[in-house]
Amino acid sequence: MAYGERFFQPCLKTALALAFVLFSTSLAGCISEAEAIPAFARKYEVNCHVCHTRQPRLNPFGEQFLENGYQMPGTEDGGIVAKLKYGDLTLDQVSNYLGVLFATTGIEHTELKREIEGSGDQTELGSPTILRLFTAGTITNNVGFFVETTTIFGRSSELELGRAFVTLNNLGGMNWGHLRVGRFDPSAYFSMARGRPQFVPIGPKLAPPFGAFSTPTVNRWSLTQSAYASKFYGLFNRSRTAIQPYDSTLFNSPEEVGIDIHGRPFGDWFLYQVGVLNGGNERAGDSNNSKDWYVMTRFDYAQSHDFSANLSGFAYFGNHNAKVSTNADVSRSRYGVGARMRYKWLDIYGAYTIDRVTDLPSGMESTFDSTATGVTVEAHAMVTDRLLLGTRYDHLDAGGLLATRKSATFVGVQAKYYLRSNMAFTVRDDFNVRNVEGGTSAARNLRNRFSVDLSIVF
Amino acid sequence: MNIFMKRFGWALLMLGMAQPAFGGSEMTSLNMVEDGRTIYERSCLICHGASGKGDGPAAFYNAAFSASRARDFTVGNYKFRSTVSGSLPVDQDLFRTVTDGIPGSMPSFSGLSIEQRWQVVAYIKTFYSGFQEETPESISLNGSPIPSTAASIQRGKALFEEMDCASCHGKQARGDGSVALAGELKDSRGLLISPNDLTNRTGWKNGTTVRDMVRTLFTGLDGTPMPSYESQLAGHKEDAWHLANYILSLSHHE
Ligand code: HEC
Ligand code: HEC
Repeated sequence: MAYGERFFQPCLKTALALAFVLFSTSLAGCISEAEAIPAFARKYEVNCHVCHTRQPRLNPFGEQFLENGYQMPGTEDGGIVAKLKYGDLTLDQVSNYLGVLFATTGIEHTELKREIEGSGDQTELGSPTILRLFTAGTITNNVGFFVETTTIFGRSSELELGRAFVTLNNLGGMNWGHLRVGRFDPSAYFSMARGRPQFVPIGPKLAPPFGAFSTPTVNRWSLTQSAYASKFYGLFNRSRTAIQPYDSTLFNSPEEVGIDIHGRPFGDWFLYQVGVLNGGNERAGDSNNSKDWYVMTRFDYAQSHDFSANLSGFAYFGNHNAKVSTNADVSRSRYGVGARMRYKWLDIYGAYTIDRVTDLPSGMESTFDSTATGVTVEAHAMVTDRLLLGTRYDHLDAGGLLATRKSATFVGVQAKYYLRSNMAFTVRDDFNVRNVEGGTSAARNLRNRFSVDLSIVF
Repeated sequence: MNIFMKRFGWALLMLGMAQPAFGGSEMTSLNMVEDGRTIYERSCLICHGASGKGDGPAAFYNAAFSASRARDFTVGNYKFRSTVSGSLPVDQDLFRTVTDGIPGSMPSFSGLSIEQRWQVVAYIKTFYSGFQEETPESISLNGSPIPSTAASIQRGKALFEEMDCASCHGKQARGDGSVALAGELKDSRGLLISPNDLTNRTGWKNGTTVRDMVRTLFTGLDGTPMPSYESQLAGHKEDAWHLANYILSLSHHE
């Protein structure tokens, strides 16, 4: 009972302590079982493959569970635990609500071109280590929630609140409309959901200056999905810090404050989604006078037991959601298509997007390219029951300030070996396809990155 | 551990529950099947498939390399029954599976109302014509539980050895018997299946009370190598309770 009460207070130390208690209990619990049972799997007593092809990728059942706001498809109730009152919570039941992701980089070798001051080949051991806590589930019939916090040890080591939202499910009838309110990733239901790649995003390495309207030197380009990247050089957010061309933004932002609704009123083949956001990658509050809005539709073909496919398209209309260095507001919009195909253990997905900047201050048109595109294609396959091989292609056709903009193309390959279904070693290499091209921009400076990582979810 | 409470509660309910009051007129049962189909298409099709063959778009991922794939409802072969081996389950058996789910494989659908669960049960029965023609034959558990005394557990241990449970489940009952390690155990779909670790109840699919355990011994799990011991125990059925007492004593759970 004490756990239940404390759990709902935003107390960082308690959350961390709880994570470690859970770490030990969950791990002890897992070892004697055939399959690991993390987070939701614990609550419903099923193994991870009921929802995932391989975590974090979802299979068709997992997608339906997500779309129904963490309730079993076709039901209005979170099931077993939803009926409990907070006061009755025991540690056991808290562990049915709380999931933990732990990822650490064992070895990282970065090969840089040495043309930018302060850079050079780097080998690092044991960093960074990421601890993410997330709690999600249902409070009562048709009301779900999701909250996550992330701590990156060795960087800021602070507990940061990430996504945090409430879902109101099955409004107007079963599967007609599911509402999300709070801070969420708009693209969660898109064919290539931003937050579910097998290739995790690799952060950048930056050097000062970091002041208002200044652009820091990027020593190491960040490896994120190019289709979802900002793509423009010379843009700033409302707090006047640089939006880097590789930052995930707009429809594909990790967290935007807003409200959206999705549903399948005509059956499993068609999904709609409409939403309104503060936009501008704001973490909280709303300094924007205007809102961004978007619409997404998705068509599903899922008939046979080993083949399913879907196709989706979206349009995101930005409204004064960025600035140029003169402090003038501009609007960024995005149009994109995405597709996914699963055949047995082969999983292929990708997206292509076109970004546009409008409302440029007069006179800037000749120095600023207002159109940019990006493409990301990822494929992976289980080749044995423990080995997942994958590859990813990223191409960013950059826009923005003509003087500094540089396009970027990267290819990644990786092998992931599962010790258990919730614990994997990853060996990964990403290389710059444009190696031979000269210049000192960040898009050229990173030649190659190799890493060995360990990740555990429980 | 609320799960044990829940399962035990269900066992009691099942024993006391008569056939539900549906199915009177032809009209009612037709409506029931129609309503059941709607529920099936929303909640079950994704795994069990449009034609009930266990080939829904998510079925493969449940059991790509080893058992258990979503049930094929068109062949009338069920694991979790209160009926003799080779017989179809009764409606209450199916209702129990939908309500509790199957640990490891299938989530609980207790989020469906009780009426909806009976409706979907009526619908899945239409995939196999045997449900119209055959009358399932129930097993009798033969009496009530025998107290789990040291003597009873000792007798159970001897039976475990005598009846050669170890060839599959292993000497220490950890699911590592020689036949299992040799990779020779397959289910009716040809998928590799591993015998349960009997020292940890959390993964058991057919219930975790002593009554559930005895039922499993009498019915067997059809479609898997786990046999029915009904004929072997004929004449000394009380031994099933001793065996169950022994197995449950191995669990580290409270
Ligand atoms: C996530 C996939 C999934 C969903 C959704 C699902 N099932 Fe199942 N179901 C399974 C699997 C896997 C098995 C086989 C488990 C085993 O053999 O151990 C199974 C087995 C069964 C069985 C057979 C039990 C027995 O005695 O052999 C019944 C009955 C059943 N499911 C009914 C349903 C109904 C009704 C629904 C919808 C309300 C449903 N299932 C939804 C995966 C699913
Ligand atoms: C030929 C091999 C074999 C033999 C012999 C065997 N089992 Fe099993 N047993 C299995 C398999 C395989 C399973 C797993 C079935 C599944 O997961 O669907 C199982 C499952 C079980 C379960 C778990 C049922 C559940 O609820 O999930 C129990 C309990 C059990 N066996 C007890 C016994 C006992 C006691 C004996 C001896 C009297 C015995 N078994 C003999 C193969 C065997």
